[in-house]
Amino acid sequence: MLILTHFAMTALFYGVACGLFFVTLSRGHEGPGRHAFPALLAGVMSHVVYVGVDLIGDDTPPMSDIHSTLTVLSLGIVLAFLFATWRKPAMAILGAFVTPVVLVFFLASGLGRSVGHVPAGVRSALLPIHIVVNIAGFAAFALSFAAALAYVLQERLLKQKRLGGIFQRLPPLHVLDTFGLRATSIGVPLLTFSIISGVLIAVRSQPGLASLGATQFLAVVAWLVFAGVLLLRIAVGWRGRRAALGTILGFVCVILVLVGYVARAGGGA
Amino acid sequence: MSDEIVVVGLSHHTAPLALRERRSVEPERLAAQLEQLVGGGLVAEGVIVSTCNRVEVYGTAPDPKGAADKVRAFLEHQCEGTEFAGKVGPTVYARRGEAAVRHTFRVAASLDSLVVGEPQILGQVKEAYEAATSAGTVGTLLGRAFTRAFAVAKRVRSETEIAAGTVSVSSVASALARKIFGDLRGRRVLLHGAGEMGEAAAKALAGDDAALTVVNRSQEKAERVASECGGRAADYVQLAEELHRADVVITSTSAPGYVLSADLMRRVAKARRGLPLFLIDIAVPRDVDPRVGHFENVFLYDVDDLQQVAQENLAQRKRAAESAEHIIETEVAEFEAWRRSLSLTPTIVAMRQRYQEIVKAELERTLPRLGDLSSKDKKTLDKMAGAIVNKLLHAPMTELKASNGTSEGPIMVAAAQRLFGTVPGPQDESERPSLVPDGLVAKKTKA
Repeated sequence: MLILTHFAMTALFYGVACGLFFVTLSRGHEGPGRHAFPALLAGVMSHVVYVGVDLIGDDTPPMSDIHSTLTVLSLGIVLAFLFATWRKPAMAILGAFVTPVVLVFFLASGLGRSVGHVPAGVRSALLPIHIVVNIAGFAAFALSFAAALAYVLQERLLKQKRLGGIFQRLPPLHVLDTFGLRATSIGVPLLTFSIISGVLIAVRSQPGLASLGATQFLAVVAWLVFAGVLLLRIAVGWRGRRAALGTILGFVCVILVLVGYVARAGGGA
Repeated sequence: MSDEIVVVGLSHHTAPLALRERRSVEPERLAAQLEQLVGGGLVAEGVIVSTCNRVEVYGTAPDPKGAADKVRAFLEHQCEGTEFAGKVGPTVYARRGEAAVRHTFRVAASLDSLVVGEPQILGQVKEAYEAATSAGTVGTLLGRAFTRAFAVAKRVRSETEIAAGTVSVSSVASALARKIFGDLRGRRVLLHGAGEMGEAAAKALAGDDAALTVVNRSQEKAERVASECGGRAADYVQLAEELHRADVVITSTSAPGYVLSADLMRRVAKARRGLPLFLIDIAVPRDVDPRVGHFENVFLYDVDDLQQVAQENLAQRKRAAESAEHIIETEVAEFEAWRRSLSLTPTIVAMRQRYQEIVKAELERTLPRLGDLSSKDKKTLDKMAGAIVNKLLHAPMTELKASNGTSEGPIMVAAAQRLFGTVPGPQDESERPSLVPDGLVAKKTKA
């Protein structure tokens, strides 16, 4: 009952923050914007308590199933967003793009509970590092995705010469592009490590049986897209819209990976 | 009669720039002028707001009409011996009471500005208020009016879009460049051609610390414009190279066709390897092939686009101004209610004092006849007397407060003063609590 209350409270706070960010972006009223961050912070506090209660009440290792991983991932995204926009008021409006992702991931984490027991063979000192790094990488990609969405929207408004409210409230194109590049630069090495460590764990647990399932395949595709975007940015000078679209594609792959895990946990493929 | 606010002055609405220049008050002369206004007894309190668009005296006086006439004469006198002697009168306006409060709030909120919503005026009004405070010419009424005006201005800016967008072609170009590049420091701006509007846009961008290069068919003109705008001139033959390097290109040549063709700009965009390029085509006929606007990471705006943005921003500000006027009206009503309550206070205090004096006298007369009463009994009697006073005064005070601000108000106050025997006599009048602080009164007396 306690855990359900904290889940509902966290979802409510994130939902309110999401709504307030949207009103600020679309209507430009300062009031909702001022209250969005306190709502988000309240959500974070409630979320931390929820994770704590979950840990105490569950004897399985933390993040041993996709649902608890999604819980921590959504918390990681919020914390990464708060850290990245700390003392950068112009970037705060990215909350309108980040909070929906957080809310969806958090709600998805409550869809159900898989058994979540980690096979003995998979348990190793590398496993928690693999999961934490994976979550940090996905959080970085979530931020680059938010910046990319804002970039595509802002660039479209500028091209169409619709320079009204939303255009005025979004950060400059160069700032969004740089923000996205930094987030991708952080996310790619983390995901690279995560994939390598994941392969090591799989090989160690089932020598000779290691194979690439659909979900793992999508994870590799996501990595390829992000790494490709980063490489093209550095080597060829990809910037702006093209880089933003590549980032969005990469994050869609990340979402598909998570959907794959959720489906598998629920008895799907 | 209570003090009222009065505003007398001239502004861009009524007076030409030459006259406003003549009448403007330099900061170092402000204190002396305030001394003349307040020390000379023209007004009880005083603030002078002097900007390039307005010269206004804000004051308080029990007789606002008389004070307005005196200040008007003061302003006219200042122009004697100049080419404007005898011409100032028609340009001077006066506002009194509620209209003066409304004017104060509107000026601070930039609703009365030449460019509605411009942010400088609030700072200028604050400086004027601080100067008057330092000179000791601000009292309760004007102090409250100005501090409310600052709060109203803040409210208007946060609750409406009065300051949204820019309203001139050059500032729109500069604002758009900032929306693409963020900080313009170190960005390269190329001015191609040297038209007047292009020059203005280049100056606006160079003002943001961008590095300006001027290219023109006439090298001499390029060098002149470059030196005026704080940039450098380049040979016209280097146009293509300069285009590769530039982040912002302002083009305003008088060429009859497209000088920056689609082919040329495609090569430029390719050479920039995805770096954004902002093209501002101010030329008529246009210098840039419109197809260039479809290139990736190239943003092309012509003079019509910029003018449309400026017009839209202006229209948006005008719409916001309507909402702002509602805020102003609410605030004016609240301020006036507070001011009127000031005039009621002496009457209420006098009524209470009168009753308390009567009760005290009666108690002093009656207590000896009651024999030895304990201190507890005396206290109880005292409390009872106080309660009777409160109950007796409750109904008349409620009625007085309710009538405050209505047409009945002054009649009710006069009636109460007569009925309760608190009509201020000639002696009372001189002892009437002043709204002006003690220091200021002393100063006035001295002067």
